[in-house]
Amino acid sequence: MTDILIIGAGLSGLFASILAAKRNADVTLVSAGHGGLSISHGCIDVWSKATSSLSLSRLKKNHPYRIAGKRALNIAMEAFEDIMHDASYPFSGSLSKQLFIPTAIGSLHCTAYAPISLAHSQMTKGTPIAIASIAGLRDCFPEMLVKNLRSNGYLVERSISLSLPGSEPYRDLYSTDLAYRFEDSAYRDQIAQLWKPRLSGIHCLGIPAILGIELFEIPTPPPSLPGLRLEQVLFSTAAHFGVNIILGSSAIGRIDRSRKLKRVSGITLQTPSNSRQLKAQKVILATGGFLHGGLIAHRDGSIQESVFNLPIDYPENRKALLAPSLFDKQPYEMHGVRVNSRMQPLDLKGEPVYENLFSAGGIIAGADRQSEGSRQGIDLATAQRAVEAALE
Amino acid sequence: MPSLSTELLVIGAGATGLGIAWDACLRGIKVVVVDQSNIAQGTSGRYHGLLHSGGRYAVTDPISAQECASENSILRRIIPHAIEDTGGLYLALRTDPADYAHEWQRACQEIGIDVEPQSLDQVLRREPALTKSISQAFQVNAASLDSFDLLNSLSHSIRKTGGQVLLHHRVNEFIIEDNTVVAAELVSELDQTTMQIGAEIFINAAGPWSDQVAALAGVKIPITHSKGTMIAMANRLTHTVIHRCRPPSSGDAIVPAGSVMIIGTTDIPVSSANDLPIKPSEIDFLLDQGEELIPGFSNRRPLRAWSGIRPLYNPLHDDMNSTRGISRSHVLINHAETDGISGLASIFGGKLTTFRLMAQRVADFVAQELQIDDQCCTDTVPIEPEEKEFIILSNRTTRLLPSENNARDSVICECENVRRSEIEAYIQSSDHFELDNLRCTTRLGMGPCQSAFCSVRATGIAFSSYETEDLLIDLTSFIDRRWRGTSLLAWGQSMRQIVFSRRLYLELLGIQQVSGDKS
Repeated sequence: MTDILIIGAGLSGLFASILAAKRNADVTLVSAGHGGLSISHGCIDVWSKATSSLSLSRLKKNHPYRIAGKRALNIAMEAFEDIMHDASYPFSGSLSKQLFIPTAIGSLHCTAYAPISLAHSQMTKGTPIAIASIAGLRDCFPEMLVKNLRSNGYLVERSISLSLPGSEPYRDLYSTDLAYRFEDSAYRDQIAQLWKPRLSGIHCLGIPAILGIELFEIPTPPPSLPGLRLEQVLFSTAAHFGVNIILGSSAIGRIDRSRKLKRVSGITLQTPSNSRQLKAQKVILATGGFLHGGLIAHRDGSIQESVFNLPIDYPENRKALLAPSLFDKQPYEMHGVRVNSRMQPLDLKGEPVYENLFSAGGIIAGADRQSEGSRQGIDLATAQRAVEAALE
Repeated sequence: MPSLSTELLVIGAGATGLGIAWDACLRGIKVVVVDQSNIAQGTSGRYHGLLHSGGRYAVTDPISAQECASENSILRRIIPHAIEDTGGLYLALRTDPADYAHEWQRACQEIGIDVEPQSLDQVLRREPALTKSISQAFQVNAASLDSFDLLNSLSHSIRKTGGQVLLHHRVNEFIIEDNTVVAAELVSELDQTTMQIGAEIFINAAGPWSDQVAALAGVKIPITHSKGTMIAMANRLTHTVIHRCRPPSSGDAIVPAGSVMIIGTTDIPVSSANDLPIKPSEIDFLLDQGEELIPGFSNRRPLRAWSGIRPLYNPLHDDMNSTRGISRSHVLINHAETDGISGLASIFGGKLTTFRLMAQRVADFVAQELQIDDQCCTDTVPIEPEEKEFIILSNRTTRLLPSENNARDSVICECENVRRSEIEAYIQSSDHFELDNLRCTTRLGMGPCQSAFCSVRATGIAFSSYETEDLLIDLTSFIDRRWRGTSLLAWGQSMRQIVFSRRLYLELLGIQQVSGDKS
């Protein structure tokens, strides 16, 4: 029997596990696979709309920010910054100002908090910069990057192509391959010797995200290191605080029918070789939306919550789940579990479905995270609220 | 205004138009083909890839059936590289009308279509995924025909023989003097410049747009538009073309093509060539039809749904409720006879399998008008592919293995194994970069991820050779169209792919919609 069982190892699940463990709870975290961080940009978007700043009172009543509250968001961001600082992977940013981070194609990603190595690009607007590409690195598009950065107002003075020591690799290297090589200090020395002559006269250099050092880094498409680094830091912090982590096993919800109040008793954990029961006092559901398996869309148009089969609203016609264009606002973004201020999933009447079940992150309904640019902010604020409520 | 003159101007670079131009080239006629967009952007590029045996029309339309049967063997001879000889099976299920199979078999024999009865055992040994409730089965010589390969090869052969293929030029106006069409004014879809092409004869082979082209000359043609919807399923569950042995109906054919299989089609009357939107009910219908032939079919992952518009000949133009009964045979209208406008003829109807025969009849007409005696020889002259390797996954895979001759060549599209060198070769040979054309040429982006990664990579490569703005417009319009084709399939694993692609484009890469002329 664990105090708190968290299902899902994305940003909200990992963050919730750390918060709960820091408050001395006995925490178990289970996940069917890699969480969403492995394919994320590794920054914390809180509210990236260019047209308006975040004002909770102007949001709809069922918006996760409005439900979680400003206080939870503020506390969550402080806690997040502390965790990252303690793990020596500091983030830069604030709730009041936007950062603009170059993407792999040279667009600007508007975000609230970014790891220092990415945020360093902020100091360079207006000052001459150089962009480095690395020969043999996959998904590194120097011409596109430079042209688009220039049309976005960056003063790109030079574009240089850097090569790697040794013979040319047989296949394209992913950023993860390179990062792995950079772990070796001898390799780093070789690189320094090889590159130093090429970098003379350059004040500020943008480079694909592989180094984790000063300069400024530009994240590549997945596998993208900033997301992976954040994931790794959160995993090791969770482990440091004693979270019991079980990966690679999917969960099937178990309901306790022995008492009057409706409660969950835990989950059946499906490991590759067998299944076993995991009992918990409280459960926090952080399984994510459609992409990460928390929600499953069926051909008949219904939407299923994957662990406890919680009630989910869905349109009568499955066509209504999507708008016609990729660039339109997408109705599916809004679907998910409805919650109260304690982050308890609600039934159709608005009552908590189970009094000891809480939820956090992408599974919660009511926000168009993509067009708001609010994905990670909601993850953190709702995780904060869910842990507070579960430990009350 | 720049102008040029030719003997024959063909409007439409689909299978019909290119087929006519090829035939004319071989007879020594000076020819120009024009198209409002690119090769394979109309009905020919939106087809299921079935090289008919003729069986499908044996009972209802024996002329079409006979034409399909003879063209089948001709195409196998002249364009073998675009054909995968899968063979075909006609299956009558226990629920299908019992006597149709006999009637069908008899009709096939009369026409001369090879039909070989198969036992249930034989069928299931060959294709174990099929349903066991088969009452009768027959083998025919249907096959899978890659229309992109066919059209690219035709275009290549035409150019090599001295013909001209002018893309992205839309006919804006016909110049008519003394009731004779003497020239066409064209507008470039790329830069809006105009040009004039004079010719002795004009052939309207614009497929579903042929009514619009005819209208420019002030004439009407009896055409009905019929929409056919198809779904490509991830993976091949059979390696043989599977037909339903019942009266021709929707969803009665499954065609293995490349790494996928395609089920089709529906047949719904629509009002115009651009009326392509698909209803969810069509998707459900096709998946349910597939399920009847292959148990578990409808739970497999659908990759993409699309529709094409058949331009059908319908002289009565009355029955708009159903287009299934209308003949698939083709019609050539000489507007001098029907409308008193000389120098212009329209060809429409027909099927991709019979494109060569249609072209032959039109070219016969053209030759007669131009008083040229040369006879058709397209039934014996091979249509040569471009001088590049055939697009077969195993070929591409071999090139990726280490060898002394191969320089390192990275894979840009992992699903279809398209290499960087192929994209660079495309860029070298084209004056204009278009992702959709690159897709038709290399199959880039046609696999399970539907171009999530490779579209951006290919654009990144193109950036070293072309201007900025157009490439971003092209990228956004391409990924939007690819995404739309998957968005009708928003359930299960497809839904995850849809959400993933969108998040990659908009959140990770920050791709924004760039407004351009293309919608």
